[in-house]
Amino acid sequence: MTSAGQLRHATVVQGMNRMPGLLKFGSFLALLFLPALAMAAGGAEIQAMSVEYRDVPGIGSRNLVWVVAQQHLLLAGFVLGVPIFAWICELVGWKTKEQRYDKLAKEFTKLLTSAYATTALFGGILLFLLIGLYPKLMAYLTDMFFPSFLVYCLLFLLETATLYMYWYGWDYMQGNKKTFHLFLGFLLNLFALGIMIVPNSWATFQASPVVVGEGDAWARAWMAMQNPTWWPVNIHRLIANVVLGGFIVGAYAGVRYLLAVSREEREHYDWMGYVGNFIGVFGMLPLPFAGYWLMREVYQYNQQMGITLMGGFLAWLFILQAMLIGVLFLGANYYFWMGITHRIPGSEGQYKKPVMGMLIVLLLCLGVWMTPHSLVASLAEAQKMGGTHHPLLGVFGVMSAKMTVSNIMILVTFMSFIMYWRAGKQETAGWAKAAKAIMGGLLVIAGIAVVVLGVWGYFVPAIIRINYFSVAQVLIVLFIMVTFTPLTALLMKSAKTTTEMVWGKMPIRAGYSLVLNAVMVILLMSLMGYARSSSRVHWHIYGVMRDTSDYAYSPALGYAAAFMSLNTFVFCLIVAFIFWVATLGDKAKAQPPKGSTMEIPGHTAPAMAGGAPSSGEKLE
Amino acid sequence: MSEVALLQIIGMCVIGVGILILLFIKGMFLRVLGFVAMVLGVFSLIALSVPQMASLPPAVETFDLASVKSPDDLASIGQKIFFSKGQCALCHSIGPSESARCPDLNGIGAKLSAEFIYESLTKPQAYIYLDYRHDGIPKEYPAQMPHIDQDPIGLSKQEIYSVIAFLQKMSGEPISIKVEDIMETVKETANSLKVASVSSTLKSQLQNLADR
Repeated sequence: MTSAGQLRHATVVQGMNRMPGLLKFGSFLALLFLPALAMAAGGAEIQAMSVEYRDVPGIGSRNLVWVVAQQHLLLAGFVLGVPIFAWICELVGWKTKEQRYDKLAKEFTKLLTSAYATTALFGGILLFLLIGLYPKLMAYLTDMFFPSFLVYCLLFLLETATLYMYWYGWDYMQGNKKTFHLFLGFLLNLFALGIMIVPNSWATFQASPVVVGEGDAWARAWMAMQNPTWWPVNIHRLIANVVLGGFIVGAYAGVRYLLAVSREEREHYDWMGYVGNFIGVFGMLPLPFAGYWLMREVYQYNQQMGITLMGGFLAWLFILQAMLIGVLFLGANYYFWMGITHRIPGSEGQYKKPVMGMLIVLLLCLGVWMTPHSLVASLAEAQKMGGTHHPLLGVFGVMSAKMTVSNIMILVTFMSFIMYWRAGKQETAGWAKAAKAIMGGLLVIAGIAVVVLGVWGYFVPAIIRINYFSVAQVLIVLFIMVTFTPLTALLMKSAKTTTEMVWGKMPIRAGYSLVLNAVMVILLMSLMGYARSSSRVHWHIYGVMRDTSDYAYSPALGYAAAFMSLNTFVFCLIVAFIFWVATLGDKAKAQPPKGSTMEIPGHTAPAMAGGAPSSGEKLE
Repeated sequence: MSEVALLQIIGMCVIGVGILILLFIKGMFLRVLGFVAMVLGVFSLIALSVPQMASLPPAVETFDLASVKSPDDLASIGQKIFFSKGQCALCHSIGPSESARCPDLNGIGAKLSAEFIYESLTKPQAYIYLDYRHDGIPKEYPAQMPHIDQDPIGLSKQEIYSVIAFLQKMSGEPISIKVEDIMETVKETANSLKVASVSSTLKSQLQNLADR
């Protein structure tokens, strides 16, 4: 190594001494990689400035960055989604005075401390890899965005300080100080939002760059940040993070439910699974609308990019996306229906028919959504069909049909939730009958209107369908959601409970369905990450900086799906490890000394507190 | 064996392992992992069963200005630059467009002189029309015109001339840029490159001396 290289190495090592544990380990790993990368570059250290790319033997630079970036993004989604989940739970606990929500929020905040460090670790590795493997691109982005790097660092400092205060001050800030603690939770989420949107601007600039005019570094960075897909991605990712946080909490509860040995544990994790699934579904309902907005912006920015995504080599990706979303919708609804059947005794017969109807509608909708627009057919097959489009299936393969069924699926899922909410309760308000009739009427009208607009969409120019009909469909469904929710809440306020909810009676498959939902969300995030990246085709920065490396191609779906599956499995293992580490202390506390019998007042508290039985339990 | 076949075999093995775990392992955590592996294996197999299309990059286009024989050749190179290296189409449209962030360039070659277009590209703030067409109230646009001859776009003089030739042809105007002018600028650039190369060699020699 040259003296300059030694100096750089020494500076990095000195810097490492100031880093916290896991970060230090991450940096150490990255340093281990660097010599190999330098070797891959042919040892031409002195020409480092002119190197555009470096490769990693075996796995390849692009694949290595893919895996690390995906882990970092999924962990970041988790780290940003869980505080939203925790804060909502804390808020609900504070408003309803139900301690179990507060305890649930606290326990999930505890996970953040280890998850936060792991996310930063992968972020550090990713940064080192990007600087080492893509020096030219990183130099360009640094030149364009450097002031935003400083803002990002500042936000990280603020986020870390707030997280420390939020977590360590939980018990201290009770009673009168609770509102301040809630304010800290709000700040935590605000800074987390900032941490998300700043790097989003770098990634969206790569996909939809704008011409940056004259000005100082700050003005230029700000101009580059305000690119057309920045805010659609911000909103889409924010909602997706809530969904990820909710479903991961649900999956954790599902696994713990399957592992539970006592009645109290089963009751507790059943309830936690319900809360996680509820928040996941709550976020999932508006997510397609955000996705629609993003695609609209992509089309408006560059029609060619939109066509590459929806009609080009990525077209089949959206069939896979439909399948994953369909399974997610089915899984979430199935869990609601199981909840009605097993938690509310006596309701099986009452809800059997509506559930069957909903299932049929969901399956039909999923069938339409998954219908490809054109099939890969031989010449003879195409002649038999009378063209490249199947005479029947081709009708369902177009966007008008897909928009219609996705809106209907959202409506059905929303109604599943309303049905669950109302199950086991008898409305007592005098106006309840009228309200229910109005809601029923509105639902029928909304369903018909969505279908009519969908069919009408076949006979109007695409721009009219996109600008007016699809927007109208979305607004109709949103209208139903924003009117039914408060109306049902008012109805339930004075309702009489006819059947008490029984927790802990769900069958084993409920636990698996929660795990399945989380896997679907993680796969979906991985799939759409590949779509977003591949839509840039052979450009690092679309239309501005061409990818001239050996990896300038986008791999086919099958190869990409194998990577997505690998990434999902690794992420599941990392999250399981984080959960396991975070609950070790609780397990130790819950374990009585050997040979003794200990009574724990209030709850068994193996890992996650909240929703505990009122009586104690003897532990041997 | 093809890559797809190999991945299909791996996918089936993963599903098989998942099934074996669910059949024979009692540990609940491992069973959940087996279930997850099965789901991921099924997903991979489905993804492998749809048409496999990779997106390959197109061949790198080179703008060989030295081979220009006629003004039409020049306009054809200018068209390529307009939609690629020049990044003009990032903001400008040719014909009305709702999404365009800057003025529509349809017919601009007929309305503005080559000199004015050259100045607009290299000194965009020198003289500003909010809307060169002057139809109704001048319109404000969100994007600001950058210096096309400077980084990050950095078009050469010849490339800018080619773009102007394209704009003129696209507007139905006779191309006023002459092939000889381009050849002249090619020679100028070659000379300046030689000077730069000599200066760079001198610089590195001086640096070596200083290092010693």
